[in-house]
Amino acid sequence: MSSVSRVIRAEEGEIYDIELVKDLLKANEEIAIENKKLLSRYGVKAIDVMGSIGTGKTALIEQLVRKLKEKYRIAAIAGDLTTTIDADLIAKHGVEVIQINTGKECHLDANLVRKALSRMDLDEIDLLFIENVGNLICPAEFPLGSDKRVVVISLTEGPNIVVKHPFVFMAADIVVINKMDLVEVLGVDVDRLVRQVSEINPKVSVIKTSCKNGTGIMDLIRALGL
Amino acid sequence: MHEFSVTSQVVKSVLEDAERQRAKKVLEVHLVIGKLTLLGIEQLRFSYGMLVENTTMKGSKLFIELKEGKVKCDKCGYEGAINFKDDPIYHISFPTLTCPECGSSVKIIEGRECLIKSIKMEI
Repeated sequence: MSSVSRVIRAEEGEIYDIELVKDLLKANEEIAIENKKLLSRYGVKAIDVMGSIGTGKTALIEQLVRKLKEKYRIAAIAGDLTTTIDADLIAKHGVEVIQINTGKECHLDANLVRKALSRMDLDEIDLLFIENVGNLICPAEFPLGSDKRVVVISLTEGPNIVVKHPFVFMAADIVVINKMDLVEVLGVDVDRLVRQVSEINPKVSVIKTSCKNGTGIMDLIRALGL
Repeated sequence: MHEFSVTSQVVKSVLEDAERQRAKKVLEVHLVIGKLTLLGIEQLRFSYGMLVENTTMKGSKLFIELKEGKVKCDKCGYEGAINFKDDPIYHISFPTLTCPECGSSVKIIEGRECLIKSIKMEI
Protein backbone atom coordinates (compact mmCIF):
# COMPACT_ATOMS: atom_id res chain seq x y z
CA MET A 1 0.00 0.00 0.00
CA SER A 2 1.37 3.39 -0.93
CA SER A 3 1.57 5.67 2.05
CA VAL A 4 3.35 8.92 2.62
CA SER A 5 3.31 10.00 6.21
CA ARG A 6 4.61 13.15 7.83
CA VAL A 7 4.07 14.49 11.30
CA ILE A 8 3.25 18.14 11.88
CA ARG A 9 3.17 19.70 15.31
CA ALA A 10 -0.15 21.46 15.84
CA GLU A 11 -0.81 24.54 17.99
CA GLU A 12 -1.76 22.79 21.20
CA GLY A 13 1.57 21.31 22.19
CA GLU A 14 0.24 17.81 22.60
CA ILE A 15 -1.97 17.37 19.59
CA TYR A 16 -0.47 15.98 16.43
CA ASP A 17 -1.85 16.16 12.95
CA ILE A 18 -0.71 13.27 10.82
CA GLU A 19 -0.97 13.80 7.12
CA LEU A 20 -1.50 10.51 5.45
CA VAL A 21 -2.09 9.84 1.84
CA LYS A 22 -3.49 6.38 1.88
CA ASP A 23 -6.00 5.43 -0.77
CA LEU A 24 -7.68 2.15 0.06
CA LEU A 25 -9.25 1.56 -3.34
CA LYS A 26 -5.97 2.48 -5.01
CA ALA A 27 -4.31 -0.23 -2.92
CA ASN A 28 -6.61 -2.79 -4.56
CA GLU A 29 -5.80 -1.39 -8.00
CA GLU A 30 -2.09 -1.72 -7.31
CA ILE A 31 -2.48 -5.41 -6.42
CA ALA A 32 -4.64 -5.85 -9.55
CA ILE A 33 -1.80 -4.46 -11.66
CA GLU A 34 0.61 -6.93 -10.02
CA ASN A 35 -1.82 -9.78 -10.75
CA LYS A 36 -2.01 -8.71 -14.38
CA LYS A 37 1.78 -8.61 -14.68
CA LEU A 38 2.07 -12.05 -13.11
CA LEU A 39 -0.55 -13.50 -15.46
CA SER A 40 1.00 -11.98 -18.54
CA ARG A 41 4.45 -13.27 -17.54
CA TYR A 42 2.98 -16.77 -17.70
CA GLY A 43 1.00 -15.99 -20.86
CA VAL A 44 -2.32 -16.51 -19.08
CA LYS A 45 -5.36 -14.62 -20.31
CA ALA A 46 -7.85 -13.89 -17.50
CA ILE A 47 -11.54 -13.11 -17.86
CA ASP A 48 -13.51 -11.67 -14.92
CA VAL A 49 -17.19 -12.63 -15.09
CA MET A 50 -19.53 -10.37 -13.09
CA GLY A 51 -23.32 -10.20 -12.75
CA SER A 52 -26.25 -10.67 -10.38
CA ILE A 53 -27.17 -13.97 -8.80
CA GLY A 54 -28.86 -16.32 -11.25
CA THR A 55 -28.01 -14.56 -14.52
CA GLY A 56 -26.06 -17.55 -15.78
CA LYS A 57 -22.44 -16.73 -15.01
CA THR A 58 -21.58 -20.35 -14.21
CA ALA A 59 -23.59 -21.67 -17.17
CA LEU A 60 -21.76 -19.23 -19.43
CA ILE A 61 -18.34 -20.33 -18.17
CA GLU A 62 -19.41 -23.95 -18.66
CA GLN A 63 -20.39 -23.20 -22.27
CA LEU A 64 -17.10 -21.42 -22.91
CA VAL A 65 -15.08 -24.25 -21.33
CA ARG A 66 -16.95 -26.80 -23.46
CA LYS A 67 -16.06 -24.91 -26.66
CA LEU A 68 -12.51 -23.90 -25.73
CA LYS A 69 -11.02 -26.78 -23.76
CA GLU A 70 -9.42 -28.38 -26.83
CA LYS A 71 -7.72 -25.12 -27.74
CA TYR A 72 -6.60 -23.84 -24.33
CA ARG A 73 -5.53 -25.26 -20.98
CA ILE A 74 -8.23 -23.72 -18.80
CA ALA A 75 -8.59 -23.07 -15.08
CA ALA A 76 -11.22 -21.19 -13.08
CA ILE A 77 -11.55 -19.30 -9.85
CA ALA A 78 -15.08 -19.32 -8.42
CA GLY A 79 -16.08 -16.74 -5.86
CA ASP A 80 -19.06 -17.23 -3.60
CA LEU A 81 -19.93 -16.46 -0.01
CA THR A 82 -20.26 -20.14 0.83
CA THR A 83 -20.48 -23.55 -0.87
CA THR A 84 -18.57 -25.08 -3.78
CA ILE A 85 -21.65 -25.61 -5.97
CA ASP A 86 -20.43 -23.43 -8.85
CA ALA A 87 -16.88 -24.69 -8.60
CA ASP A 88 -18.15 -28.28 -8.79
CA LEU A 89 -20.24 -27.50 -11.88
CA ILE A 90 -17.22 -26.07 -13.69
CA ALA A 91 -14.86 -28.80 -12.46
CA LYS A 92 -17.11 -31.43 -14.09
CA HIS A 93 -15.65 -30.30 -17.42
CA GLY A 94 -12.20 -31.44 -16.36
CA VAL A 95 -10.63 -28.08 -15.57
CA GLU A 96 -8.86 -27.03 -12.39
CA VAL A 97 -11.08 -24.86 -10.19
CA ILE A 98 -10.12 -22.93 -7.08
CA GLN A 99 -12.99 -21.88 -4.86
CA ILE A 100 -12.76 -18.62 -2.97
CA ASN A 101 -15.34 -18.45 -0.22
CA THR A 102 -15.50 -14.81 0.76
CA GLY A 103 -17.51 -15.57 3.91
CA LYS A 104 -19.53 -12.39 4.04
CA GLU A 105 -17.82 -10.23 1.48
CA CYS A 106 -19.93 -9.10 -1.45
CA HIS A 107 -17.19 -9.16 -4.11
CA LEU A 108 -13.81 -10.65 -4.98
CA ASP A 109 -10.86 -8.33 -4.56
CA ALA A 110 -7.38 -8.34 -6.07
CA ASN A 111 -5.81 -9.64 -2.87
CA LEU A 112 -8.08 -12.72 -2.74
CA VAL A 113 -7.30 -13.41 -6.40
CA ARG A 114 -3.58 -13.01 -5.72
CA LYS A 115 -3.89 -15.67 -3.01
CA ALA A 116 -5.74 -18.00 -5.39
CA LEU A 117 -3.10 -17.44 -8.10
CA SER A 118 -0.34 -18.37 -5.67
CA ARG A 119 -1.97 -21.78 -5.32
CA MET A 120 -2.18 -22.39 -9.07
CA ASP A 121 0.43 -23.78 -11.41
CA LEU A 122 0.35 -20.91 -13.91
CA ASP A 123 2.78 -22.72 -16.21
CA GLU A 124 0.08 -25.27 -16.83
CA ILE A 125 -2.70 -22.92 -17.99
CA ASP A 126 -3.42 -20.46 -20.82
CA LEU A 127 -6.88 -19.24 -19.93
CA LEU A 128 -8.40 -18.37 -16.56
CA PHE A 129 -12.05 -17.63 -15.85
CA ILE A 130 -12.75 -15.73 -12.64
CA GLU A 131 -16.37 -15.99 -11.59
CA ASN A 132 -17.08 -13.06 -9.29
CA VAL A 133 -19.59 -13.10 -6.42
CA GLY A 134 -23.18 -12.73 -7.67
CA ASN A 135 -23.68 -8.99 -7.29
CA LEU A 136 -24.25 -6.19 -9.80
CA ILE A 137 -22.81 -3.39 -7.68
CA CYS A 138 -19.70 -4.02 -5.61
CA PRO A 139 -17.45 -6.03 -7.98
CA ALA A 140 -17.31 -2.96 -10.25
CA GLU A 141 -15.26 -1.15 -7.64
CA PHE A 142 -12.57 -3.83 -7.42
CA PRO A 143 -10.55 -4.65 -10.54
CA LEU A 144 -8.79 -8.02 -10.20
CA GLY A 145 -6.12 -7.83 -12.88
CA SER A 146 -8.04 -9.59 -15.66
CA ASP A 147 -7.65 -8.84 -19.38
CA LYS A 148 -11.36 -8.47 -19.90
CA ARG A 149 -14.28 -7.80 -17.58
CA VAL A 150 -17.56 -9.34 -18.68
CA VAL A 151 -20.93 -8.41 -17.15
CA VAL A 152 -23.72 -10.96 -17.54
CA ILE A 153 -27.31 -9.76 -17.33
CA SER A 154 -30.39 -11.75 -18.26
CA LEU A 155 -33.87 -11.13 -19.56
CA THR A 156 -35.49 -12.22 -16.30
CA GLU A 157 -34.07 -9.25 -14.39
CA GLY A 158 -36.62 -6.71 -15.56
CA PRO A 159 -36.53 -3.93 -18.15
CA ASN A 160 -34.50 -1.42 -16.08
CA ILE A 161 -31.64 -3.58 -14.86
CA VAL A 162 -29.06 -1.62 -16.89
CA VAL A 163 -29.94 1.96 -15.96
CA LYS A 164 -30.41 1.02 -12.32
CA HIS A 165 -26.83 -0.23 -12.07
CA PRO A 166 -24.82 2.02 -14.40
CA PHE A 167 -21.46 1.73 -12.65
CA VAL A 168 -20.82 -1.95 -13.32
CA PHE A 169 -21.33 -1.32 -17.05
CA MET A 170 -18.75 1.45 -16.94
CA ALA A 171 -16.25 -1.10 -15.65
CA ALA A 172 -17.11 -3.66 -18.36
CA ASP A 173 -15.47 -4.53 -21.68
CA ILE A 174 -18.21 -6.91 -22.78
CA VAL A 175 -21.85 -7.18 -21.71
CA VAL A 176 -23.68 -10.46 -22.22
CA ILE A 177 -27.48 -10.50 -22.36
CA ASN A 178 -28.32 -14.07 -21.45
CA LYS A 179 -31.50 -16.21 -21.53
CA MET A 180 -32.36 -15.05 -25.05
CA ASP A 181 -34.37 -18.28 -25.41
CA LEU A 182 -37.00 -16.60 -23.18
CA VAL A 183 -37.38 -13.45 -25.25
CA GLU A 184 -40.77 -14.38 -26.75
CA VAL A 185 -42.29 -15.47 -23.45
CA LEU A 186 -41.10 -12.45 -21.50
CA GLY A 187 -41.62 -9.86 -24.22
CA VAL A 188 -38.53 -7.90 -23.16
CA ASP A 189 -37.40 -5.00 -25.35
CA VAL A 190 -33.83 -6.26 -25.91
CA ASP A 191 -32.91 -3.42 -28.29
CA ARG A 192 -33.61 -0.95 -25.50
CA LEU A 193 -31.30 -2.84 -23.12
CA VAL A 194 -28.56 -2.85 -25.77
CA ARG A 195 -29.05 0.86 -26.40
CA GLN A 196 -28.84 1.68 -22.70
CA VAL A 197 -25.62 -0.30 -22.28
CA SER A 198 -24.07 1.55 -25.23
CA GLU A 199 -25.22 4.88 -23.86
CA ILE A 200 -23.58 4.21 -20.50
CA ASN A 201 -20.38 2.86 -22.05
CA PRO A 202 -19.96 3.41 -25.79
CA LYS A 203 -16.82 1.23 -25.88
CA VAL A 204 -18.50 -1.94 -24.68
CA SER A 205 -19.52 -4.86 -26.96
CA VAL A 206 -22.94 -6.36 -26.30
CA ILE A 207 -23.47 -10.07 -27.04
CA LYS A 208 -26.82 -11.87 -26.85
CA THR A 209 -26.64 -15.46 -25.67
CA SER A 210 -28.62 -18.41 -24.48
CA CYS A 211 -26.58 -20.76 -22.33
CA LYS A 212 -29.43 -23.22 -22.59
CA ASN A 213 -29.17 -23.73 -26.37
CA GLY A 214 -25.72 -22.31 -27.04
CA THR A 215 -26.84 -19.27 -29.06
CA GLY A 216 -24.26 -16.49 -29.24
CA ILE A 217 -21.44 -18.38 -27.50
CA MET A 218 -19.25 -18.25 -30.62
CA ASP A 219 -19.90 -14.50 -30.90
CA LEU A 220 -18.75 -14.10 -27.32
CA ILE A 221 -15.61 -16.15 -28.00
CA ARG A 222 -14.80 -13.82 -30.90
CA ALA A 223 -15.47 -10.72 -28.78
CA LEU A 224 -13.11 -12.10 -26.13
CA GLY A 225 -10.45 -12.57 -28.82
CA LEU A 226 -10.16 -16.30 -28.01
CA MET B 1 -22.67 -2.59 0.21
CA HIS B 2 -19.00 -2.97 1.06
CA GLU B 3 -18.87 0.09 3.33
CA PHE B 4 -18.32 -2.08 6.38
CA SER B 5 -15.22 -3.76 4.96
CA VAL B 6 -13.83 -0.53 3.53
CA THR B 7 -14.42 1.26 6.84
CA SER B 8 -12.76 -1.65 8.66
CA GLN B 9 -9.67 -1.00 6.54
CA VAL B 10 -9.84 2.72 7.33
CA VAL B 11 -10.08 2.05 11.08
CA LYS B 12 -7.31 -0.54 10.93
CA SER B 13 -5.00 1.88 9.08
CA VAL B 14 -5.71 4.71 11.52
CA LEU B 15 -5.18 2.48 14.55
CA GLU B 16 -1.87 1.26 13.13
CA ASP B 17 -0.74 4.84 12.72
CA ALA B 18 -1.98 5.83 16.16
CA GLU B 19 0.00 2.97 17.66
CA ARG B 20 3.11 3.95 15.70
CA GLN B 21 2.83 7.48 17.12
CA ARG B 22 1.98 6.08 20.58
CA ALA B 23 -1.17 8.20 20.61
CA LYS B 24 -3.41 8.31 23.67
CA LYS B 25 -6.45 9.15 21.66
CA VAL B 26 -7.49 9.76 18.04
CA LEU B 27 -9.45 13.02 17.82
CA GLU B 28 -10.24 13.45 14.13
CA VAL B 29 -10.10 11.42 10.94
CA HIS B 30 -10.38 13.18 7.57
CA LEU B 31 -11.44 11.16 4.56
CA VAL B 32 -11.85 12.08 0.92
CA ILE B 33 -14.45 10.00 -0.91
CA GLY B 34 -14.94 10.27 -4.66
CA LYS B 35 -18.51 10.64 -5.86
CA LEU B 36 -17.96 7.93 -8.48
CA THR B 37 -17.14 5.28 -5.89
CA LEU B 38 -19.95 3.01 -4.80
CA LEU B 39 -19.57 3.98 -1.16
CA GLY B 40 -22.61 5.27 0.71
CA ILE B 41 -21.68 7.99 3.20
CA GLU B 42 -24.51 7.14 5.58
CA GLN B 43 -23.45 3.48 5.77
CA LEU B 44 -19.81 4.47 6.08
CA ARG B 45 -20.55 6.71 9.08
CA PHE B 46 -22.69 4.00 10.68
CA SER B 47 -19.91 1.41 10.26
CA TYR B 48 -17.34 3.84 11.63
CA GLY B 49 -19.38 4.38 14.80
CA MET B 50 -19.54 0.65 15.43
CA LEU B 51 -15.94 -0.12 14.56
CA VAL B 52 -14.29 2.50 16.78
CA GLU B 53 -15.99 1.23 19.95
CA ASN B 54 -13.42 0.03 22.51
CA THR B 55 -10.50 1.53 20.60
CA THR B 56 -8.44 4.71 20.97
CA MET B 57 -10.60 6.08 18.15
CA LYS B 58 -13.76 6.06 20.25
CA GLY B 59 -15.40 9.49 20.22
CA SER B 60 -13.25 10.69 17.31
CA LYS B 61 -14.86 12.96 14.74
CA LEU B 62 -15.12 11.70 11.18
CA PHE B 63 -14.86 14.36 8.49
CA ILE B 64 -15.76 13.33 4.96
CA GLU B 65 -14.94 15.53 2.01
CA LEU B 66 -16.76 14.49 -1.16
CA LYS B 67 -14.82 14.80 -4.37
CA GLU B 68 -16.60 15.43 -7.66
CA GLY B 69 -16.17 12.99 -10.52
CA LYS B 70 -14.17 14.10 -13.53
CA VAL B 71 -13.86 12.53 -16.95
CA LYS B 72 -11.52 13.12 -19.88
CA CYS B 73 -12.07 12.63 -23.58
CA ASP B 74 -9.00 11.58 -25.55
CA LYS B 75 -10.64 12.55 -28.82
CA CYS B 76 -11.72 16.18 -28.28
CA GLY B 77 -9.88 16.94 -25.05
CA TYR B 78 -13.01 17.58 -22.93
CA GLU B 79 -12.22 17.49 -19.24
CA GLY B 80 -14.97 17.98 -16.69
CA ALA B 81 -18.13 16.62 -15.14
CA ILE B 82 -19.51 13.25 -16.14
CA ASN B 83 -22.41 13.37 -18.57
CA PHE B 84 -25.91 12.36 -17.47
CA LYS B 85 -28.42 10.97 -19.89
CA ASP B 86 -32.15 11.45 -19.35
CA ASP B 87 -34.74 8.95 -20.41
CA PRO B 88 -37.94 11.06 -20.27
CA ILE B 89 -40.25 8.12 -20.97
CA TYR B 90 -39.15 6.33 -17.83
CA HIS B 91 -38.26 9.45 -15.79
CA ILE B 92 -34.75 8.25 -15.16
CA SER B 93 -31.36 9.85 -15.40
CA PHE B 94 -28.15 7.84 -15.47
CA PRO B 95 -24.42 8.62 -15.79
CA THR B 96 -22.70 7.74 -19.05
CA LEU B 97 -19.15 7.48 -20.34
CA THR B 98 -20.19 9.38 -23.47
CA CYS B 99 -18.42 12.70 -24.04
CA PRO B 100 -20.87 15.63 -23.64
CA GLU B 101 -18.93 17.55 -26.33
CA CYS B 102 -18.20 15.08 -29.13
CA GLY B 103 -20.09 11.90 -28.21
CA SER B 104 -17.11 9.53 -28.19
CA SER B 105 -16.09 7.64 -25.08
CA VAL B 106 -14.44 9.22 -22.05
CA LYS B 107 -12.48 7.79 -19.15
CA ILE B 108 -12.84 8.58 -15.47
CA ILE B 109 -9.86 10.52 -14.10
CA GLU B 110 -11.20 11.68 -10.73
CA GLY B 111 -13.92 10.67 -8.31
CA ARG B 112 -12.80 7.12 -7.48
CA GLU B 113 -10.89 8.09 -4.33
CA CYS B 114 -11.21 6.57 -0.89
CA LEU B 115 -8.47 8.47 0.81
CA ILE B 116 -7.41 8.83 4.43
CA LYS B 117 -6.16 12.38 4.16
CA SER B 118 -5.17 13.16 7.72
CA ILE B 119 -5.60 12.13 11.33
CA LYS B 120 -5.48 14.31 14.43
CA MET B 121 -4.40 12.58 17.59
CA GLU B 122 -3.42 13.30 21.16
CA ILE B 123 0.00 11.99 21.99
